[in-house]
Amino acid sequence: MRVVAMIMAGGEGTRLSVLSEKRAKPSVPFAGKFRIIDFTLSNCVNSGIFDVAVLTQYRPHSLNDHIGIGKPWDLDRARGGVRLLQPYQGRNDESWYRGTSDAIYQNLNFIKERRADLVLILSGDHIYKMDYNTIIATHRRFNADLTVGVMEVPLEQTDRFGIMTTDEQDRIIEFTEKPKNRDKGNLASMGIYVFNAEALIRRLSEGSENKPRIDFGKNVIPAMVAEDRVYAHRFTGYWVDVGTIQSYWETSMALLDPNLDFDLYDPNWVIRTRSEERPPAKIGPQARVTSAIICNGCTVRGTVERSVLSPGVYISPGAIVRESVVMNDTWVGPGAVLDRVIVDKQVVVGAGAHLGVGDDLTVPNKLQPDKLNTGITVVGKSAHIPPGISIGRNVVINADRDAEDFAGREVPSGETI
Amino acid sequence: MLRTLALILAGGDSPALSVLTAERTEAAVPFGGKYRIIDFTLSNCVNSGLYNVGVLTQYRPRSLHAHLGVGRPWDLDRAQGGLRILHPSPTPDGGGWQRGTADAVRYNLDLIEDQPYDAVLILAGDHIYKMDYRPLLQLHEEREADVTLAVRSVSPHDTHRFGIVTVGGDGRVDRFDEKPRRAVSNLASMGIYVFRRDFLIELLRSDDGYDFGRHLLPKTVSRARAYAYNFQGYWADVGTVQAYYEANLALLAETPALDLYDPEWVIHTTSADRPGVELSATARVENSLLSDGCRVYGTVSSSVLSPGVYVSPGATVRGSIIMGDAWIGPDAVVDHCIIDEYARVGAGAVVGEGEATTPNQAAPDRLNTGLTLIGARARIPEGVTIGRNVAIMPRTPENAFPKGKIVATGSTL
Repeated sequence: MRVVAMIMAGGEGTRLSVLSEKRAKPSVPFAGKFRIIDFTLSNCVNSGIFDVAVLTQYRPHSLNDHIGIGKPWDLDRARGGVRLLQPYQGRNDESWYRGTSDAIYQNLNFIKERRADLVLILSGDHIYKMDYNTIIATHRRFNADLTVGVMEVPLEQTDRFGIMTTDEQDRIIEFTEKPKNRDKGNLASMGIYVFNAEALIRRLSEGSENKPRIDFGKNVIPAMVAEDRVYAHRFTGYWVDVGTIQSYWETSMALLDPNLDFDLYDPNWVIRTRSEERPPAKIGPQARVTSAIICNGCTVRGTVERSVLSPGVYISPGAIVRESVVMNDTWVGPGAVLDRVIVDKQVVVGAGAHLGVGDDLTVPNKLQPDKLNTGITVVGKSAHIPPGISIGRNVVINADRDAEDFAGREVPSGETI
Repeated sequence: MLRTLALILAGGDSPALSVLTAERTEAAVPFGGKYRIIDFTLSNCVNSGLYNVGVLTQYRPRSLHAHLGVGRPWDLDRAQGGLRILHPSPTPDGGGWQRGTADAVRYNLDLIEDQPYDAVLILAGDHIYKMDYRPLLQLHEEREADVTLAVRSVSPHDTHRFGIVTVGGDGRVDRFDEKPRRAVSNLASMGIYVFRRDFLIELLRSDDGYDFGRHLLPKTVSRARAYAYNFQGYWADVGTVQAYYEANLALLAETPALDLYDPEWVIHTTSADRPGVELSATARVENSLLSDGCRVYGTVSSSVLSPGVYVSPGATVRGSIIMGDAWIGPDAVVDHCIIDEYARVGAGAVVGEGEATTPNQAAPDRLNTGLTLIGARARIPEGVTIGRNVAIMPRTPENAFPKGKIVATGSTL
């Protein structure tokens, strides 16, 4: 039985604000040294699936760099291995990927060439550990055309997910995208699908103007529920969609909880990533570090509490980093304070600058009130924060901002620079 | 630039490193947390643009083989050239072991002859240093030398440990004394030699001496075009337990002499995929190096931790080197120790306790500075107290420890 995994990694991820402005969401750094897509890629190879395609579209440069020829995942193979599938031009047609299933449709030749029996459709922006052999086993046991990975969510959150209603045999009898009334049960789709290749090709090829086949959730699955054997596979482990600033921050903080049911250190399910060669983390004589993840290449000479530091971060003496996520090679100057801040790569935080000032976390960002309203301040890649400045909550500092972009010594909560 | 073959000598048994080299050659001993000693020489090669590298092994090479693999971290997995691991092969009469540095190179003369090299760079696999070999090779080429030795100044008290060279005004070496009692110079050979290829072939064919420093070079320098290249940078021979310990802990300085953070001269190594270091709410860490995959719940100070070390709640690690995946149990105390890979220190054990003046009885010349060594995969039972200058051999099981739960200072298990 041949299994091909197709990882959807083209989405824009607008809700991650400046973090996904210059890179696709799957290549946003997470948990220190990883990228979000590492979890799905590692799940594939840890499940013995070495035939993997990554479908890219939005800002793929960082993702392409990260995946390369797939070496960290042992996906640099003579047969199979990883393929990056970008939108392409054809003789008679050309088109960006218009949605998840349209992206697969435009690459049906890949599936045919690999002579796949089963196609595993995955999302590149979820954090979880899953042995895909379990969902494949469910698929085969039910002799299904399509099996959807589902998990129970609290009933009050069902309006955020695609909700599956099943019969006693776990056959899906109804699919409702983000139901307003909470009456469809609480089995949420995880965006993980196992298709019989033949059924997938048939269903995607029958699309037309009035019967579009653009999105799995909107078009393909509802149609298949009516006509094909569609089953649910229940997953009970840890799974999060880090698609918003709030969930990205919460999930990062949750990693610091020793009781979290998500072990990054499990030698039997290693999460692999492309590591740069860096020396060990250096904790200086005056440093105080508690409840933190610190990566190779970091130097900590100040105080770090409940924070996640990616490789190469430098925390100067007297600096305080609290409940923050700091990405690669950022420099935090002497006496600077970060409180509930997500700082992208290569940022310079000037000496004595205070980020996350003020007790009122509820003043939303004026330009993105729906995305930034919980007190988290976000700093874009390569921004330079001038020394001594005071920056409030829910502030967005865009990428590459320099000292002259800041007027005055204070940036009130909710502002955007 | 000269077409150069680099040969790294990594076959020595280095008995002075005690339990650290009981099961592996010195080149494969961990250093600075995540590195192995040979990483420095190998990285120097590729950072200098040398991609034809042979590693000569003999003593306990398995750990080194596992580390080198196909040379991937150093970009030495190449279609042309790349990494070659050169191991002795037995002769029909049971011989074939290499008896010294020159002998080891002599066994591989065919490799040197068969390829169109101009020069052969002989390197040691057990030195810690960052060096661009290109200026050395350039000097060798400009002077049309037969052999060029890299040298550095050492303290007059240390001249008896090195090959000492005397250099004339034009940089030409006119004398080489191996480990002299009374030295006339303090320029020490670093064990780094560039030979003109044809000169090396002829030298090794015409003279059957085993060792470059002891047998060949003293005779050769006066009759050949021998030059010295003066190297000024950091260089450490970590061939003793104390030197090894000091070189590791020197990395904790605010600005260490050996800069591992230089993006222009990256030291490459084989890294296992591990998440970042986890420091718990109960962790207290100061003045230490921690490698990816470490998990700290206790107290760590002035120490160097390799990847995957686990320090349990209540445990204390002070002034120690802890190698990969070692486990320090709850409330254990580790003080001035070197703990090798996968060793387990049971709950409440105290390792490195009491006075430091009694040397190790079995090896008083090697273990006498108060450091206690725990070999790889040794299992220290709960509640045991171990003194200083103690050597616990690799794989020592719990039942090998005395019933009284005390291992006195200076003992060996």
